[in-house]
Amino acid sequence: MSRLLRPAGALLKNYSNKSFLVKNVRYRGTIAAASYEQTLLNVPATRVTVLDNGMRVASEDSGAPTATVGLWIDTGSRFETDANNGVAHFLEHMAFKGTSKRSQTDLELEVENMGSHLNAYTSREQTVFYAKCFSEDIGKAVEILSDIIQNSKFGEAEIERERGVILREMQEVESNLQEVVFDHLHAVAFQGTPLGRTILGPTKNIKSISRADLIDYITTHYKGPRIVLAGAGGVNHETLVKMAEDNFKSLGGSYVGDAPEVAPCRFTGAEIRVRDDSMPLAHIAISVEGAGWSDPDNIPLMVANTIIGSWDRTHGGGAHNASNLAQAAVVGNLCHSFQSFNTCYKDTGLWGMYFVCEPLKIEEFMFNLQSEWMRLCTNVTDFEVERAKNILRTNLLLQLDGTTPICEDIGRQMLCYNRRIPLHELDARIEAVTADVVRDTCYRYIYDKCPAIAAVGPCEGLPDYNRVRSSMYWLRV
Amino acid sequence: MLRLCAKNIPLRSCGTQIVRRCSGDVKTASKASDITKVPLSKSVEWLPRPVYATVSSTPAQTQVTTLDNGLRVASEPKFGNFCTVGVVIDSGSRYEVAYPSGISHFLEKLAFGRTVNMTRDDIMGKFERLGGICDCQSSRDTFIYATSVESKGMPEAVEVLAEVVLRPQLLPEEVTDARMAVTFDLEDLQLRPEKDTLLMEMIHAAGYRDNTLGLPKICPPENVMKIDRPTLFTYLKKHHTPSRMVLAGVGVNHDALVECAQKHFVEHPAIWEMEPSLGSSRAIEVDRSVAQYTGGIIKEDADLSDVSLGPNPLPELAHLVIGLESVGHQHKDFVTCCVLNMMMGGGGSFSAGGPGKGMYTRLYTNVLNRYHWMHNATAYNHAYSDSGLFCIHASAHPSHLGELTQVLTREFAAMAGHVGKEELQRAKVQLQSMLLMNLESRPVVFEDIARQPPPQSINPPPSALSPHFQPPAPPASAPKYSTFNPKSSTFSPHHQPQIPAFTP
Repeated sequence: MSRLLRPAGALLKNYSNKSFLVKNVRYRGTIAAASYEQTLLNVPATRVTVLDNGMRVASEDSGAPTATVGLWIDTGSRFETDANNGVAHFLEHMAFKGTSKRSQTDLELEVENMGSHLNAYTSREQTVFYAKCFSEDIGKAVEILSDIIQNSKFGEAEIERERGVILREMQEVESNLQEVVFDHLHAVAFQGTPLGRTILGPTKNIKSISRADLIDYITTHYKGPRIVLAGAGGVNHETLVKMAEDNFKSLGGSYVGDAPEVAPCRFTGAEIRVRDDSMPLAHIAISVEGAGWSDPDNIPLMVANTIIGSWDRTHGGGAHNASNLAQAAVVGNLCHSFQSFNTCYKDTGLWGMYFVCEPLKIEEFMFNLQSEWMRLCTNVTDFEVERAKNILRTNLLLQLDGTTPICEDIGRQMLCYNRRIPLHELDARIEAVTADVVRDTCYRYIYDKCPAIAAVGPCEGLPDYNRVRSSMYWLRV
Repeated sequence: MLRLCAKNIPLRSCGTQIVRRCSGDVKTASKASDITKVPLSKSVEWLPRPVYATVSSTPAQTQVTTLDNGLRVASEPKFGNFCTVGVVIDSGSRYEVAYPSGISHFLEKLAFGRTVNMTRDDIMGKFERLGGICDCQSSRDTFIYATSVESKGMPEAVEVLAEVVLRPQLLPEEVTDARMAVTFDLEDLQLRPEKDTLLMEMIHAAGYRDNTLGLPKICPPENVMKIDRPTLFTYLKKHHTPSRMVLAGVGVNHDALVECAQKHFVEHPAIWEMEPSLGSSRAIEVDRSVAQYTGGIIKEDADLSDVSLGPNPLPELAHLVIGLESVGHQHKDFVTCCVLNMMMGGGGSFSAGGPGKGMYTRLYTNVLNRYHWMHNATAYNHAYSDSGLFCIHASAHPSHLGELTQVLTREFAAMAGHVGKEELQRAKVQLQSMLLMNLESRPVVFEDIARQPPPQSINPPPSALSPHFQPPAPPASAPKYSTFNPKSSTFSPHHQPQIPAFTP
């Protein structure tokens, strides 16, 4: 479940002992001659079509022998209330439990026998169902996806069984401290608003969510204009549009009464400490309010993130790190790992740092971190900005390797921006960021702002909130 | 046989990948600053219109060239603004028998450090400027130094690769840093709840006791202080030679790659050729022994009752791996072994993901769905050039360990029995889809082409060789079966060359 952060990194992967047997024909791209004013991209275009019921179909055809297709739905735990918190995630689980057309076993066998993969995840603002398959099986995959979101049976027996599974999943999430810390961070930063709730929901709700809750949620939120069918790999756009028209024609596109509105979520600077001295390491996240998805400030904020960087102890290179904070961490043995993050929502976001360290090093790490943040707001240099821009571009572009990451990118961007940002535009946007822009943006988002803090473990050494707050500005001439 | 002296080919940039990023500097400065105010949901009208690539029906071809010093260069075109280039070397822990174990572990940590002509900062700066990343990983028999950079940066990437592979300095302070990183790795392995890496190490040690594949890949704690600069150079001198390497590129122009390889890998000598005093003067020949499967058991008592690093306890587990010798990846039964692996499948008793993760494989239907005390059961097939291990990893509460062993051995025995038509068909389709899906990723394609057999090794007739020792290379016309370069046919069965013990 990759619902919290999506750090760019871990890019060159898969160097295991995997061996490959069959090699299929792979296709290569050709580019037409272009005029001087035009930009050449060695990637296929993303094509978008809007159906009559408002559903959007977006795809990129690379001619590969495999493909990923999926439904990106503009709904998630943010659209829940205290009473039904957890229903979006519950629904994700119930989707694979049988429809009016196929039993659970039929569905499983059909997918397994095709050599496909069916997967789903729920975040605070998005619900995703996707299938990875041979490109000749896309038709079947789209039909299965349409079946599970339109005709799921939600049998009482299956619902009862799934409660146990979700409670078990909850245990797994709770053993992942990063997830725990980020749930706490959301709970304090967005206290009293829907973004403050967890995705899984409280145990009480998991035990009580009923068939009616599921059906109510699905009929309210699974509407044509809020769904994107995205495809990448060997996907022909016209064929995909035809499949969407055939399979989703009965999906409603309008609301009888008022359409549900997204309430704005307020950010609160505050802290939560879950002190447990029996744990070996402290896990701490500190964040200011970031920008919403479509805010252009996101680009300089991501550049700022890249300047601070990410690091962990097993990185080679000793003190030779470009990130000042990583250098300090190596020299002073300040922490086990740290990771900058920039999590976006529709109208707000969280921009900050997650780190894991020994109890006695917290204060020193915080000092170094906040000094770096202040430096971003006051005298960040051209050199480091240029460097960070290059790294950021690389990370963003290198992620788009394989049909699933590309399909995810298409689906997510269609929901967030209602378009896919062309690569040359993304390039131009990053290119336009200068040290002045970074400084100005960081000043507006970080300088003299109240941070939200979540700490789990032996966190006695974390400075008092007012001291942390007073390091969010500099008094000097 | 393709032999090419690339001296006279003019340098070309990677022609298939025409890339130019459009930057703000085309336009006036005022417009360039405007763009930082345009919401991401709005398109920027004044940017030049892009021309996209389209699918053509020409299948991509892998091209292979062998240079004068034995270095093989392989490449293949691919969509995208990035290319992956790297060096794959026949080197790794299986060759460490005459050395203190852990050399590969150290070399991984030392990769991309100071070289003869570049400092570490130069290298990192270069990758940042090129928009690239670099990485070094080793397995028991393969070392990979790989980089992914924007296509136009290929020549510089090759230059860096040649420097880090052939001309590393391995300064004493770098070795000290590597010691620290290795120590952190060792601590981390003990600390973390998942024990897969340790189990993989132990099953190899048990299967190939004290030889080749059974030698430790993780540096033993007592060797951390022992391994030093001369030791490392003695090893590098023999093992990281051009004839044991493939330079491979995905998304690059083959001729340009060959030209760069000629310039940086052939015309410039390795550091140990320039300074013969580096490393031991005693000749320690490369260990060419064939993996000898011995069988055996390795048990380690450990208190895993409290492995959780957080406030929530994790279940206490005993971990068990049972393995049998399978075949190397050039063996005629290799594909069958892979199908068998898919048929056994398995995974966690509780795992995320929907249908497609192998829910109807035997380790689910016969094992995990029946014995609810079992935490996980997964089949693996580790294949190497001359041997392989087919194993099942499983874990359960220590009180079930006896029963766990019985259940697994029963499954092993049942593999020799009846195989259903439907499960076989499913396993085949799943294997095909897994392979093709892996090949979506550029680094995987890179590794795949790097391990294509060299053109000159097609000759030995498969039947002439005992399957156990020298696997035949598949004929060039056959679908390119994976991987690895078959070793020269000088391997002598049952005879392990006497290798002098290492003395610095």
